Amino acid sequence: MKSDYRLGIDAGGTFTDFVLADRTGQVRLFKALSTPQDPTLAIRNGLQLISEDLGVPAEHVVSNCDLCINGTTVGLNALITHSGAKTGLICTAGHEDSLEIRLGHKEDGYRYDPEYPPATMLVPRYLRRGIRERILSDGSVREPLNEADVRAACGVFKAEGVESVAISFVWSVLHPEHELRAAAIVREMMPGVILTLGSALYPQVREYTRTSTAVVNAYLAPIMKRYVAAVDSYFRSLGAKQPVRYFQSNGGLAIGQAMTDRSVYAINSGPASAPAAGQYVCAPFGYGNVITLDMGGTSFDITLTRDGSTNINKNIDFLRYRIGVPMIQVETLGAGGGSVGWIDEMGLLQVGPQSAGSDPGPACYGQGGKLPTVSDANLVLGYLNPDGLVGGRLPLDHQKAHDAIKTNLADPLKMSVERAAYGMFTIVNANMVNGIRRVTVERGYDPRDFVLVGAGGATAAHITALADAMGINTIVLPKLASGLCAFGQIISDVKYNYMATAPVRLDNDAALSRIDALFNQIEAQGTAHLKTDGFKAKDIVTRRSLDMRYVGQVHECTVEIGTFKVDAKSVAKITDAFHKRHKDLYTYAEPQSVVEVVNIESTVYGIVDKPGRMTIGKGATAKKALKGHRDAVFSADGKRVRTPIYDGTPLGAGALIRGPAVIEEVTTTIVLEPGWTARLHESGSYLITRDRKKGAT
Amino acid sequence: MARKTAKKIKVDPITLSVVRGILETTQREMTLSLEKTARSSVFNLAHDYSTALFNATPEMILQGQDIPIHLGSLIPAMKVVAGYFGGDIHEGDLLIHNDPAWGGSHAIDTCFYKPVFWKGRLKYWTVCKGHLTDIGGPVPAGYNPNAREIYAECLRIPPVKVWDRGTPRKDVLNFILTNMRARRDQEGDFNALIGACQVGERALIAMLEKYGEETVDACIATLLDMAERQMRGLIATVPDGTYEGSAILEDAGHGFGDFEIRAKVTITGDNCHIEISSPPQIPYFINSYEGNSYSGVYLGLMMFAQLPPPYNEGLYRCVSVDMGPKGTICNAAEPAPHMNCTTTPMETLTDAVRLAFEKAVPSRVSASWGHANGLNIAGWDKRHNEEYVTMVLATIISGAGATPSQDGWHACGPECCFGALTSGDVELLEYSYPIIIHRYSLMTDSGGAGKFRGGSGTAWEVEPLNDDMTFITFGEGRRIPAVGAAGASSTMIDTKVGRLELVEGTQSQTIRENVIKVIKPGARITNMNPGGGGYGNPMERPVDKVVRDVKNGLVSVKGAQEDYGVIIRDPATLDVDIAATSALRAKRAPAAE
Repeated sequence: MKSDYRLGIDAGGTFTDFVLADRTGQVRLFKALSTPQDPTLAIRNGLQLISEDLGVPAEHVVSNCDLCINGTTVGLNALITHSGAKTGLICTAGHEDSLEIRLGHKEDGYRYDPEYPPATMLVPRYLRRGIRERILSDGSVREPLNEADVRAACGVFKAEGVESVAISFVWSVLHPEHELRAAAIVREMMPGVILTLGSALYPQVREYTRTSTAVVNAYLAPIMKRYVAAVDSYFRSLGAKQPVRYFQSNGGLAIGQAMTDRSVYAINSGPASAPAAGQYVCAPFGYGNVITLDMGGTSFDITLTRDGSTNINKNIDFLRYRIGVPMIQVETLGAGGGSVGWIDEMGLLQVGPQSAGSDPGPACYGQGGKLPTVSDANLVLGYLNPDGLVGGRLPLDHQKAHDAIKTNLADPLKMSVERAAYGMFTIVNANMVNGIRRVTVERGYDPRDFVLVGAGGATAAHITALADAMGINTIVLPKLASGLCAFGQIISDVKYNYMATAPVRLDNDAALSRIDALFNQIEAQGTAHLKTDGFKAKDIVTRRSLDMRYVGQVHECTVEIGTFKVDAKSVAKITDAFHKRHKDLYTYAEPQSVVEVVNIESTVYGIVDKPGRMTIGKGATAKKALKGHRDAVFSADGKRVRTPIYDGTPLGAGALIRGPAVIEEVTTTIVLEPGWTARLHESGSYLITRDRKKGAT
Repeated sequence: MARKTAKKIKVDPITLSVVRGILETTQREMTLSLEKTARSSVFNLAHDYSTALFNATPEMILQGQDIPIHLGSLIPAMKVVAGYFGGDIHEGDLLIHNDPAWGGSHAIDTCFYKPVFWKGRLKYWTVCKGHLTDIGGPVPAGYNPNAREIYAECLRIPPVKVWDRGTPRKDVLNFILTNMRARRDQEGDFNALIGACQVGERALIAMLEKYGEETVDACIATLLDMAERQMRGLIATVPDGTYEGSAILEDAGHGFGDFEIRAKVTITGDNCHIEISSPPQIPYFINSYEGNSYSGVYLGLMMFAQLPPPYNEGLYRCVSVDMGPKGTICNAAEPAPHMNCTTTPMETLTDAVRLAFEKAVPSRVSASWGHANGLNIAGWDKRHNEEYVTMVLATIISGAGATPSQDGWHACGPECCFGALTSGDVELLEYSYPIIIHRYSLMTDSGGAGKFRGGSGTAWEVEPLNDDMTFITFGEGRRIPAVGAAGASSTMIDTKVGRLELVEGTQSQTIRENVIKVIKPGARITNMNPGGGGYGNPMERPVDKVVRDVKNGLVSVKGAQEDYGVIIRDPATLDVDIAATSALRAKRAPAAE
């Protein structure tokens, strides 16, 4: 890193986190309240905090940053609140409704619910205009593009005030010319309109997925364009050296223009930096199999990385909209500090998914919240400091927490407040464990082969209990946990996904050379893009993957092949990799069956140099950092145990703390259950391990 | 038995919640394993399978919320299968069964039962059942409209052990597979079903190891009791009395005429008795044996109960069912042919039950959904020189019924699947089969009229790519539209029912019965399935909602007038003649009752 600073700004639901890394490796964390109505306001407020803390003007900080990086929820919020742009769809006549038919499926869990509403259409039916044209499954043209139909559609769009247009034809992925010609007509008829082409944004087989992805992109593009323009010009006015980088849900950075063209990549960027951060904090210990857990106020996000490769989702429903482009797999549950405990119709205790949010917040915040939340339970259990969080800036009301649990849960269930609180703790943990199973067991991984990394403010109170339940022996908990996602963004590389479709059976040489040519073609595009972003050839890396299946199967699995050339020599290696992946996932392989490729992808990275590593020097021993004791509960009987409380701030590298204990960091509280020991490592993370005598595994 | 021992142990409500979560996760993992590994697209795309967990009694302790076709039908099947072997069940056994006369649904739904042992004793059963692509017999894929007896439909498998104390009985498996087409696919699907049973077994044993047998038993017994209390609580809110519902099963081309299926629901306190009466069985494949009919009855009950998952047998303890005399359409006896039963007559049976409940509690109702009316296609794929045959799931995705709070979902049916089905992507279908899909869309004026409109049905238009194609139509709902609720009814009928249009050159015809035909490239068929029923008087639907539907092409200008009494003066501006509309609506309102 050549400049003084690198700045990461990550907007979350409640707080926007600011991470400032300097040349020495020191990392500072700041938090400003998020301002969803005008996200740039939170950025201004946060820069103000930094400026006050460093005693220099914001211009000084920004102009001395090599990079400023922003993870934004602008697209996500527009999708949640259905406040995107007025969008029109141009599609193949007869297929106007794939977006609304949604493959004919109603989400599981709502089968008999008479009030569960259909998904809100981002483009109403009257703005989905069918065009007479047809390409067939071999790429041939059955019916040429009817240009008059395109012009008529533009007429409707203009009359209706459409701001953004998606174009997506059946099989356009094998013959993009119809989409390109239609786009030229739209540009001519509607100058200034924002256009998204299915075959350009997501060139993969599956018409519904491609059309839906294009529509989500078109719906968000004008919003993202305005946001990016505002942020870019603000940073320019502060003297930024480089255009702002934006974080994407594929786990990489993009510059502003890419963010406008490919807005759909922005929608779940917040938690997508967790894998990079998890890898980074585990590197000093040599761990490559990492599960990150991020528990905030309202939600719990899980990601998984194995041998350096992170679980990716493609072709999934996100907020009820089908999205094709690759996104870091983030399993999200409604389980956070604000999750509410309640008793269901069957008389069973439940926790979440509904949350008290930040307003009114948990009962213990004393802002009028009456419902018992996980934070209230953690306070009653003695985990959280009754004097308050964030160094006392957020005081907590023990009595209110106690009363909320007593009235709503303990009395109706006829149990003590401590037992009810421990019950909430147990149930929210059980929910999180079931979520962790979804990224591990359901993906063919044994959770015991992984270490846990804690991120988010609330995770550290639960993490030893979660590790116990999963049979996991090792936890890495950075002091910076509460800002770990923002940190992950500043150590990430620029990353673009380039895709193509190649539905062929892998049993002939012509198929192989076709696939290889397609790879070369998309990689040339990706490299050219990165060069315009200013990357030199030596800093550009590509990675290939293929979506493959046995002939006759419906689901593909993705096989990563690094940088292999696809030819007669390498094909055995590639199919072997597929057989192995299939066996890992589904317990068996069929080596005798013919394999087919459906889609291919190259990921191109522009490598960004990384800030120096943080180091912790010699500081206080555990004994010196002991603040006092609190009674805490670690068992279902509600029994209180006298538990030492440590101040994490002065601790030096090598400090050793045995559970049961509580370590209070400024923005997080670590609960060590009995049987766990934490050692602070010089890299700024606690390495928490299960004591041998307890661990049966 | 399990209940008595359990009562002695006090169940901690926290552990109870955790055990319930583990059971649900176990079932989810079984389902996922099955879906990802199976070869049959009826599993992969249609989700036409079911997984369940039973205790040793055997009572169902968790039913996957999968497809309603299987709702509850595993309960009688499990009891019959376990009863057949009595005490002769051992660790490492694995059972297979498909026969409807032994408690099964239709024979192409083949089921595996794995007894789970703990410390030498039978504790649970993990059960997986799925719709295979073939089950032997004279017609590929099992649907034989010419069968006059079950013997002419399929291979019948009564309860049989395919593993005996851990050893696979290769001779038995070979015997079964030898009788089926596409042996390799069937073998693959057997493996998928067995694998899912084992996934469940593993998770249940881990649960016992962690929480202990007594605690887990007590939790499961409590969960069953709680479900019972929940259903009883709901039934108790229904006024005591007897309520009757009836629905018409259309003649689908068999020539025996229309039939009436009736349901009589008697509520006494918190108990519910359901009595079904249906005409004598016929030598055509629409008879339903008792196990399958349970699914139809329970779906009608669930349309009233509207409960969220999880589901277990406790729900049905207060419900008794009399399926009528043996030898009737809804309680068929050997040798009745039956293969079409999971859609027809099941959906009509469901309607009869739900209509009885509508009389009991008019406020707690969903209108009927469109019935299954679809296509199978078959032919030769010149691109790969191989035969193809498939049920086209997209063709049965009908409209959902409206509810007291909202319009029905478009394209979500048929009723017997209740949204569990998926249709498959148009490009994937054209890649897999030599066809051109010209249209897959919602249909104007297909949703039943009502204050809340029924969901729109779908049209699927296809042309064979380069060779002849055989198509087979099946189903029902071609004359009588989906039954509305709370006084909903439509004036325009023809657009709301199922039918098929065949266009060959300048000739076109509409087909409304089960047929088998061959068409050539250049010819096109369009299968249209029914929309869902509406809710409430259509004259009370707000004018702006009708206008919005017209703008979106879901209702035509003519439909607005005929079905909703809304007169649109100018189709371009959608300008409404308010005075004429009010007058027409005032005149029409009583007629809609």
